[in-house]
Amino acid sequence: MRSVSTRALVPLLAGALLLSAAACSASAPAADPGSVTITFSSYNYGTQGSAGTGTQALLDRFAELHPEITVEPQSVPVADVLTSARAATAAGEPPDVVQLGYSKLAEGLETLPVQPLDELAGDGWDAHVSGIVPGPVATGTRDGSTYALPYTISIPTVLYNADLFEQAGLDPDQPPATIEEVRTAATAIVGTGAEGVYFAMADPGKSDYLTQSVMNSAGGGVLDAGGTITLDSPASVEGIRQIQSLTTDGLQPAVAVDDAMAAFTTGDLGMLVISTAVLGTVQDAAEGNFELRTTAFPGFGSAPAAPTHSGAALVSLSEDEARQRAAWELISFLTSEEGYQLIATEIGYLPLRQSVVEGELAGWLEENPLLVPTIEQLDQMQAYQSFPGPRSNQATQLLQDEAVEPVVLRGADPQSSLTSTANRIRELVGAP
Amino acid sequence: MTAAATLAAQAPVVARRRRPGLAGWSYLLPLLLVVGVWIYLPVLATVVLSLLDWNLTSPTAEFVGLDNLRRLLSEPEFAQAAGQTLLYAVALLPFSTAVPLLLAVLLWARPGRASTIYRSLLFVPAMVAPVAVAVAWRFLLNPLNGLVNEVTGRVGLPAVNWLGDPAWALPVIVVVTAARVVAFNMLLFSAALSGLDRRAVEAARLEGATGFEVVWFVVLPQLRSTTVLLGLLSVVLAGQWSFTNVSVLTQGGPDGVTDNVYHRIHTLGFGYFETGMASTASVLVLVFFALAALAAEAVRRRRGRS
Repeated sequence: MRSVSTRALVPLLAGALLLSAAACSASAPAADPGSVTITFSSYNYGTQGSAGTGTQALLDRFAELHPEITVEPQSVPVADVLTSARAATAAGEPPDVVQLGYSKLAEGLETLPVQPLDELAGDGWDAHVSGIVPGPVATGTRDGSTYALPYTISIPTVLYNADLFEQAGLDPDQPPATIEEVRTAATAIVGTGAEGVYFAMADPGKSDYLTQSVMNSAGGGVLDAGGTITLDSPASVEGIRQIQSLTTDGLQPAVAVDDAMAAFTTGDLGMLVISTAVLGTVQDAAEGNFELRTTAFPGFGSAPAAPTHSGAALVSLSEDEARQRAAWELISFLTSEEGYQLIATEIGYLPLRQSVVEGELAGWLEENPLLVPTIEQLDQMQAYQSFPGPRSNQATQLLQDEAVEPVVLRGADPQSSLTSTANRIRELVGAP
Repeated sequence: MTAAATLAAQAPVVARRRRPGLAGWSYLLPLLLVVGVWIYLPVLATVVLSLLDWNLTSPTAEFVGLDNLRRLLSEPEFAQAAGQTLLYAVALLPFSTAVPLLLAVLLWARPGRASTIYRSLLFVPAMVAPVAVAVAWRFLLNPLNGLVNEVTGRVGLPAVNWLGDPAWALPVIVVVTAARVVAFNMLLFSAALSGLDRRAVEAARLEGATGFEVVWFVVLPQLRSTTVLLGLLSVVLAGQWSFTNVSVLTQGGPDGVTDNVYHRIHTLGFGYFETGMASTASVLVLVFFALAALAAEAVRRRRGRS
């Protein structure tokens, strides 16, 4: 097929796009010659609860440290973060810093004008990166350059209602550690009239971090080390089948994640397996209603749990040199010891520097132990796996919409659903 | 003045009508510019994009001809969404015509302060932001502790997963969408009723017609053109009216049963960045409605002749 430059479509496309862009863009020049204004596209900013207030606290602290840099935050729905960045890029106004979810990162690195952060940082790069948990840093590295640094990272955890445990005759001090024990506990809780357990696999943000966590822990995975798609392997299918059986046996409500969250916060659900990102919000809702506790993601069978991290990385799309420098200042602050400490204490994501866990955060963790089980499980954390190519996000959405949700919530056959979806994904991304 | 002289005097006028000149075009120019830039240029751009494989941000686009059409027609999701768009059109038709007409006539038949209050209350759903309404419905329809299941449970009905059960999701989206459509169209019917020829109504009453006969034989015939217009608008716009509720409440699920072509186009274009496929789908929708309009016009002309 013949390739044509999109410039050749001027004035047709330019007329349509630029008119829209002119109407929408509102980039103001810096007020002072030495100051610079950058934009920060974030799906946490402006949201209700601790994620929104925590992000504001981070930006307020950055403003104190860097009065010469003005950050204009842009609130974007989590499912639309890549869409928004690409549309803004197409309109000629890419955001300077983007909080990009890991399920969309691979496609973002292929299709957005991402800047190499190690080049922006210059000599200070090695000192800055050393000490950050290496797995997520590697996920943001391509061809020797790092384009994304981990920002708000979590791994799935089990939130549980200690009061419901006691009502069901369970010991809240001995929470379930395996999927079999989760099933046993859910059975007891259902006996009290409440809902048993809910694995938030049909993620409204269309991320498959929990799908990957279940498959990995069951000995499978969406991809193997060689990049072959293995989501329809026997082990992967078995992992999903075990979650499905919770639904079909009446131990897990077949509802959307938001509905399950609402039920958990009102004390109608015993266990919620979900990202620690919601911890702050759930904690606020539980206060005065029931005792909220957490435990680590369960293992499947005799193998240890292998949870995959969720969350987001920071990338820079700045093309202007001054804005690139300012963007790096913001990214380096958000991924500094102080940044990670604020992220952990104000929002509930994981502190990604061991020095933070052992240092200033140690006392806080003693008083706020809900994050401790996930921090202890960081060693078992698996890197997020992306399907290859520029259609990786579409492939992830296919997996979630065509297989995971119908199987887990509506009783579709796990083997045939995962096999047909895997074949569609193979065709879509061109992988074996 | 002779006939010839009269014709001669009119000739320059006729000539001016045939050639409007610069002044005429200058009057038309603003409208032509607006229509050209905001309607026909995007349509033309969409047609061009439908022939390309482009992901919105890539510096180059690949010319693929009709390959986007082939891929689109082989995609089961698009066929499903197209079929469901027709379902939305059929299901919303009574809510855009019969139901608001009935409400408007009932309020018209009993004028007074109570009627004004009821009309205002019934119009409220059309004034609230669509996304806010959808979010409120999400809470009401929560299958575990939502108000709707709470109420149905009190009368002994089983709990229903309104938005998660493929059997219920589409009817629920129709009902949620209908609340706004009914409110808005009721106001349009009320406006049409206020312009009714009261003399015919009074005459019918003097002749001893019952209330039902007045409405059936006098009022409804005068509302025929309004009813046809709102019915046609409903058929054309049903998919667009339901877009917000689909996007906020179900994202096209469960199992794609609430999807429609407009939401599918949005998913293809801004979810997957399949700009060519999204543009191809848009062109198909345009062609479908253009053909439907031509067919409707042909029927109208044939009826006019007969």
